[in-house]
Amino acid sequence: MSREEFLKQLDEMLELSPPTLQGPEKLDDYPLWDSTAIITFMALADEHSGSRLTPRQIAACQTVDDLLQLAKVEK
Amino acid sequence: MHAALRAIEFHLPAATLSTSQLAAEFPEWTVAKIDAKTGIHCRHLASPQECSSDLAVTAAKKLFDSGACDPQDVDYVLLCTQSPDYFLPTTACLVQDRLGIPTSAGALDFNLGCSGFIYGLGLAEALVCSGQAKHILLLTAETYSKFLNPRDRSVRTIFGDAAAATLLSATDSTVPLLGPFVYGTDGSGGPNLMVPAGGMRYPRSQETALEKEDDQGNVRAANDLYMNGPEVFNFTLERVPDTVRRLLEKSALTLKEVDLFVFHQANSYMLDHLRKRLGIPPEKFVVAMGDCGNTVSSTIPIALKHVATSGRLAPGMSVMAIGFGVGYSWGATMVRYDQALV
Repeated sequence: MSREEFLKQLDEMLELSPPTLQGPEKLDDYPLWDSTAIITFMALADEHSGSRLTPRQIAACQTVDDLLQLAKVEK
Repeated sequence: MHAALRAIEFHLPAATLSTSQLAAEFPEWTVAKIDAKTGIHCRHLASPQECSSDLAVTAAKKLFDSGACDPQDVDYVLLCTQSPDYFLPTTACLVQDRLGIPTSAGALDFNLGCSGFIYGLGLAEALVCSGQAKHILLLTAETYSKFLNPRDRSVRTIFGDAAAATLLSATDSTVPLLGPFVYGTDGSGGPNLMVPAGGMRYPRSQETALEKEDDQGNVRAANDLYMNGPEVFNFTLERVPDTVRRLLEKSALTLKEVDLFVFHQANSYMLDHLRKRLGIPPEKFVVAMGDCGNTVSSTIPIALKHVATSGRLAPGMSVMAIGFGVGYSWGATMVRYDQALV
């Protein structure tokens, strides 16, 4: 999955019209960044790179870029 | 001598909670979003006076009425519940009496959640193999709705109440029709899916009834069920694929040789991800919770009954069944059908 495709998935996860997210956005600014979104992101990362991420790793992310890095999405 | 799965019936309480009702209560969640994440459009809820034994008795009566077996034939009752009628006596004992099962029968409760049906099959096979019982009534019954805070959408969207009655009988088969079995336990995950108060460790009090709102707007008290969704999802990603691999290895089967996969029906999003991750074709993968929700230990027998009645289950098929959840606890087995399921 390309970076653009991954961002599109994250847009859908947060119910935003793609293309909205670019990377520097702060996760705390999105009220739909909740436990359901975290589960969706875990599934996306697993599907993308086989990365099994723990909720603790995800909780440490502050921006969308942090999530992309964790999921091993290439720039 | 081995045990064979002979009949399944289930019972759902009359009251229902639809996804549109939930969406009206939680306007930040649309019907479409709840549907996409859970795959559940209706949950059945026990009434305040309706307990696990009531659901179990109704399911068992349906099984007896189907002609699968007479209560007098049952010589062992296994009842799986985490929401028993009482701390004591044992719910299985109350059910034995209400169903007219002989007093010579054994009866016990065991406390497991979503892995419970698999453990029940394992116990039944062992009871038959060791000559201790010939006709085992395996009951799974839960009224989790009594643990749910009305303002906690994270669990109200998922769980429904139900009971299932499964008959396992001794056969002359020289090969096992249930098994091999693979089990697993990791109690470190206990706090991620629990009802903190109400047992001896933390008895109910005014303090345990105090409601608090979490950072996502869900409200619950220590008396209520708490589920850490991301941690539970992480657990399933870690354990379920490995359990499938271990069971295939123990069974000397390949994934392609399995005719049908019946996983614990947790929610459709999780199931769909696991299915893709494991490379299981959709036509071999059972999803049957849309009209009842996650009914904990009853999801697998309910799904088996659905595939049997819809013609997807035929004699000679090998079915992989996997339960996983609260505990953490998990278990998997192969079910082989030597004759049509009643």
